Amino acid sequence: MSKKIKCDHCHLEFSEDVMIEDDGHYFCCNGCQGVYHLLSEQGLDGFYKKLGDEKLAPPSQQYEDSANFNSPAFYERYVKENKDGFSEVSLIIEGIHCAACVWLNEKALTNMDGVIATNINYTNNKAKIIWDDSTVKLSEIIDMIRAIGYNAYPYDASLQEEKANKERKDYYLRIAVAVFATMNMMTIMVAQYAGYFTGITDDVKHILNIGEWVLSTPVLFYSGWPFFRGMYYGIKTKTVNMDTLVATGSFLTYLYSIYITLTRSGEAYFDSVTMIVTFVLVGKFLEALSKKSVADTLDIMNKHLPSDVKIVEDEKIVTKNVNDVKVDDIVVVGAGDRVALDGEVVDGSGTFDESSLTGESEPIFKQKGDAIVSGTVSIDADIKYRVTRDYAHSTISNIVSLLENAMNNKPRIQQLANRLSEYFSTVILLLSLFTFIGWYFYSHNFEQSFMIAISVIVIACPCALALATPVATLVGLSIASKRGILFKEAALLETMADADVLVLDKTGTITQGRPKVVEQKRYEDFDMSLLYSLLLNSKHPIAKAVANEIYDESLSCYELESLQNVPSQGITAMYKGKMLAGGNAKLMQTIGLDVTSESEYSEFYFAYDGKLLAKFELFDLPREDAKETIAAIKKLGVRIIMLTGDHERSAKKVADMVGIEEFVAELTPQDKAAYIEKLQKEKHRVVMAGDGVNDILALAQSDIAIAMGNGSDIAIEVSDVVLLNDKFAALYDSFKISRRTFLMIKENLVLSLVYNAITIPLAMAGYVIPLIAAISMSISSLLVVGNSMRIKLGYKD
Amino acid sequence: MDSWVIGMMLGVSVFLGSIAVVALMWAIKKGQFDDKEKFLNSALFDDVDELNDAARLEKKREELKKKKENYRPE
Repeated sequence: MSKKIKCDHCHLEFSEDVMIEDDGHYFCCNGCQGVYHLLSEQGLDGFYKKLGDEKLAPPSQQYEDSANFNSPAFYERYVKENKDGFSEVSLIIEGIHCAACVWLNEKALTNMDGVIATNINYTNNKAKIIWDDSTVKLSEIIDMIRAIGYNAYPYDASLQEEKANKERKDYYLRIAVAVFATMNMMTIMVAQYAGYFTGITDDVKHILNIGEWVLSTPVLFYSGWPFFRGMYYGIKTKTVNMDTLVATGSFLTYLYSIYITLTRSGEAYFDSVTMIVTFVLVGKFLEALSKKSVADTLDIMNKHLPSDVKIVEDEKIVTKNVNDVKVDDIVVVGAGDRVALDGEVVDGSGTFDESSLTGESEPIFKQKGDAIVSGTVSIDADIKYRVTRDYAHSTISNIVSLLENAMNNKPRIQQLANRLSEYFSTVILLLSLFTFIGWYFYSHNFEQSFMIAISVIVIACPCALALATPVATLVGLSIASKRGILFKEAALLETMADADVLVLDKTGTITQGRPKVVEQKRYEDFDMSLLYSLLLNSKHPIAKAVANEIYDESLSCYELESLQNVPSQGITAMYKGKMLAGGNAKLMQTIGLDVTSESEYSEFYFAYDGKLLAKFELFDLPREDAKETIAAIKKLGVRIIMLTGDHERSAKKVADMVGIEEFVAELTPQDKAAYIEKLQKEKHRVVMAGDGVNDILALAQSDIAIAMGNGSDIAIEVSDVVLLNDKFAALYDSFKISRRTFLMIKENLVLSLVYNAITIPLAMAGYVIPLIAAISMSISSLLVVGNSMRIKLGYKD
Repeated sequence: MDSWVIGMMLGVSVFLGSIAVVALMWAIKKGQFDDKEKFLNSALFDDVDELNDAARLEKKREELKKKKENYRPE
């Protein structure tokens, strides 16, 4: 054995004799060699110094033709023109895993003629490239990325994602100003309060007031701009919202304080202006932070759909875009391919994974004349089929458009605090108006009445009201995440607390998703290794489950001959001239054994040399904690319904085992969604828990969608809540935590309302002094924050 | 102590602080904090070469822009 040496490009180690030697350098493959030379030519070999000891994946040599990237259709979809007339594209670059990779890509691209800017995000490998299309074409850029050993594919930097990022950045900027001003304001306020209690000269106070004025101006008009905008839209739609109160309150306070400062009479409230704006802005930001967008989900879905298919044309196989395939075209599908269009098999046979439609993992055997459905995956089938429906009308496209529809029309429940603030704001504004009228008639002093009316708005501090929800939900979210429950959006906790129906999928959600041996019987002693060797040759989940069950270290693997898969029956083979057979009762009958199936479970028989040796009974068992969890959730007053694509018999079996009375069997994905829609029409709030591609429509339809952590990535993407540790008991926890959080939100709102009920009459009577205003403001906010922490009680871990 | 001293001190400290805030806002707007990893790694790639590259890129952008503006389709 020769010694191992490192490839000079990818740094992977191989033995010396397989390496390509080139002028003192060693390479593991032509790809690495090519990249190495390219980098030295371009003066980019500094890359290796920066790379250090990191290892790279050797570059792939096979790519689809990059000329596709220059097609007008592609440009229309992905390439944007910016205001300077340059082209812009968003790419995801594959193969980046260290800082040096980012450096290399950016450098290599910016060295090209016509490329103006490259920005690659290290964390998510997304790149934005700006170039001049008259100098260089996108295909050349893609070729360069490939030439240096990476690959790139475009993604739709969909408006939504970009918009969300922009919104977040906008908040950062506004908060930066608000926090800076508030902190400086606090230092000034220390002097103001000290002066208030121990005496202060009028001059110093005047100076301090002017300082406050300067600081609060950018906070009100820059940081507080979203509130004015919100108020404007509110007025347009004739609604009073939280923004109205915050905007009018802070603006009037600001005017009032300027008046005080200029006339040198009384106390200014500039600090209230900055505090209100800062607190409410932060609360708003926290909510905006955790919003997910529909577009990203659909992007993921589209990635799972094949965009090209191979079709037979004039005796030749050509690749065509799915949209160009017509009915009656003949499509070729190989093992592992995903079917893109509905059709009918004309040649060949094999098994298909239809779990994306039925949820059942059992492979389905298809032969000539059988219908094949888009979205399913060929396991071992090499077939040709005739297209019966074009892409736009195929099952999978239908599901995607239904999904898009369901997600865009998802019911959004207005949060309690928002509903409340409408009334609250109206009442406060009216009260202040009445106060003004009342005082004016009483004292006939316009100035005094106006000041008191304003103090009502000032004292009705919306801080506590605005903080009530975000603080409580944040605490709730952190407890949930510690228990492996990920809520994708804070507002969901409130929706979930309101839910009264839980819909469960059977396979993979209630059950473990794979069959397990529940009973075994051996009719005679025999060599277990025989059975084991036979089982290893089958990919069928039942065979795998039996193999797992009987596996131990003493088993060995024999050479078997003339292996044969008997579709939907089992597997046979020869060993030393005698026949081995493993499969269901039908297979046993085929080989001449008198076996009849009487069990309600799936069965697996094993025969050798014409004698029946063993029988296994298998069943997809419910998760261990399913029964207790379901009982506990029922106790919360939640109605539980099980929906499944499986047969009535096994559905009943599982339902009985875990104690579910209501279940519906043999449903298609569309049926499930329709069932949930029916429940929603009956004014139920529906939580749906599922794991598979067949559940996504139902998940998208439900008010709250929960995905199991090991579910398919589309299901996780569509869902609002993910149970990361894949424990069924977490379902109960998520109900419990959301209800507790909602209770706290209600308590917080009551607290802040009680506070206002005490302070507003005082203000209306004209008794508001700055001390009360300041204390009222901070204590009400502190109470709300402190109360929210109580959610943690009872969740010690 | 005269009150103008307080005023001056307030003014100076707020002015200095606001310079920092404006710098922070500029950096946020330029997207310097968009990518945490890259932000940290940029200390490693901070050579004379990088500065030259940035300058060259800027020049290239100007040239292309000028070319675009002068270009009149017949």
